[in-house]
Amino acid sequence: MENFQSQSVQNRYDKSMLSKNTKVIDTAMKSDDTDKNEAQYLAQLMEQVANQRSKAAFAKLFAHFSPKIRAFGVQRLSQQGLAMDLVQETMTRVWTKAHLYNADKAAVSTWVFTVMRNQCFDMLRKVQNNREDAFGDDIWPLFESDESDETDNDFKLSATLLKHVDDLPPLQKQVVQGIYMQELTQQELADKLKVPIGTVKSRLRLGLEKLKGFMEKHYD
Amino acid sequence: MIKYHPNQDLLTLHAKGELPLSLSIAVSAHCELCPECAEKVAALTIASSEESFSLAQLSTDNGNMDEVLDTDLEALLADMMSDDTLESAAINLLPAEDTAPTRAVTNIKGQDYTLPWAFRQQINNQWQGIGKVSRLRLETGEAKARASLLHIAENGEIPQHSHKGEELTLLLAGEFSDEYNTYTAGDFMVLNSEHEHSPKTIEGCLCYTVVDAPLYFTKGISKLLNPIGELIY
Repeated sequence: MENFQSQSVQNRYDKSMLSKNTKVIDTAMKSDDTDKNEAQYLAQLMEQVANQRSKAAFAKLFAHFSPKIRAFGVQRLSQQGLAMDLVQETMTRVWTKAHLYNADKAAVSTWVFTVMRNQCFDMLRKVQNNREDAFGDDIWPLFESDESDETDNDFKLSATLLKHVDDLPPLQKQVVQGIYMQELTQQELADKLKVPIGTVKSRLRLGLEKLKGFMEKHYD
Repeated sequence: MIKYHPNQDLLTLHAKGELPLSLSIAVSAHCELCPECAEKVAALTIASSEESFSLAQLSTDNGNMDEVLDTDLEALLADMMSDDTLESAAINLLPAEDTAPTRAVTNIKGQDYTLPWAFRQQINNQWQGIGKVSRLRLETGEAKARASLLHIAENGEIPQHSHKGEELTLLLAGEFSDEYNTYTAGDFMVLNSEHEHSPKTIEGCLCYTVVDAPLYFTKGISKLLNPIGELIY
């Protein structure tokens, strides 16, 4: 009896050692996968916060990020109380600015880091200069390359492009407009114009080449 | 073609948010004009987010202090979830449609300049100047740094001034040249008192300048703020 018991303890011990080891190996081998899974999981949570205003998803994001934010805050702001403020301010912004997060541009953890860094920058200025200003989001716009520059340029570009579409010969203009602005398929357009699809294709090719020429001239 | 860029140290400190306001504005504005450095900062931001967040992981893994703190975080979460704190924050923090932020525009000598994002809330003073040189002082609240916009009208010369330490010049618009080079919008130059040159502009130019003690250019804001920081880093 005694023997049996001690053996079972031994077994349990072995088992736990074993599972621990397997876990270590697992993490070592699969750390890339785990990272990816975690990133996907976080992205799902962000999406639920942004689109469904899900508080449950927010609570999970909070559980994941708040200890990290606090540790960063303790290091940067050197005060426990301020670090908790940083957690609150950062997570509040994660909630209110969730719609600015773009999964194609950055990982959730990078985005949360930028929100935190911007907030921390303003808090440091407050501690240092007693200034209640909020400049962090101007210096590192959270919608960076999303609404600012690229959209501006895209907008200017499409405006220029549109102007040049008007300069195309009428038949080419008709095809380019049909495909790109009314979003018809080549077949639909061919049916509509009562011409063979080959004609649509060649008019489109000529039109696009001419547009390319316009644009190159414009930018040189 | 931009020829002069902030060095790796400045870009790294900028990504971490450790530069003082005057320099953060300069690096941010440069990146808006320079896709190359913008890309570098994006990569450095990913790196420093990984660094910061993994450091945090280590420090939460040990000690039983954390149990108490976890209760703190638990309490904070409960607090944020109740009382519609989140909803009211959403209302307060979101700008109304018609007040969506736009870049600041400043007018000097009859010309409008649209400034990079970083200047959005910084243009609160009036332009002052005599002749071809005008200056608009920024209030960064930093004791040592003097940050300003400097405008030189066409065929003007950039005034020589004697100072110790370093001066940062970011060319925002127009051009100027000295005996060595011609500078274009986006060029980011750090000069010290040993550099002697007499820049001239033909078409006129708008610059952002920071005159400063050298210390500022090499150390982050948290280190200046907190002497203990020196020991930690």
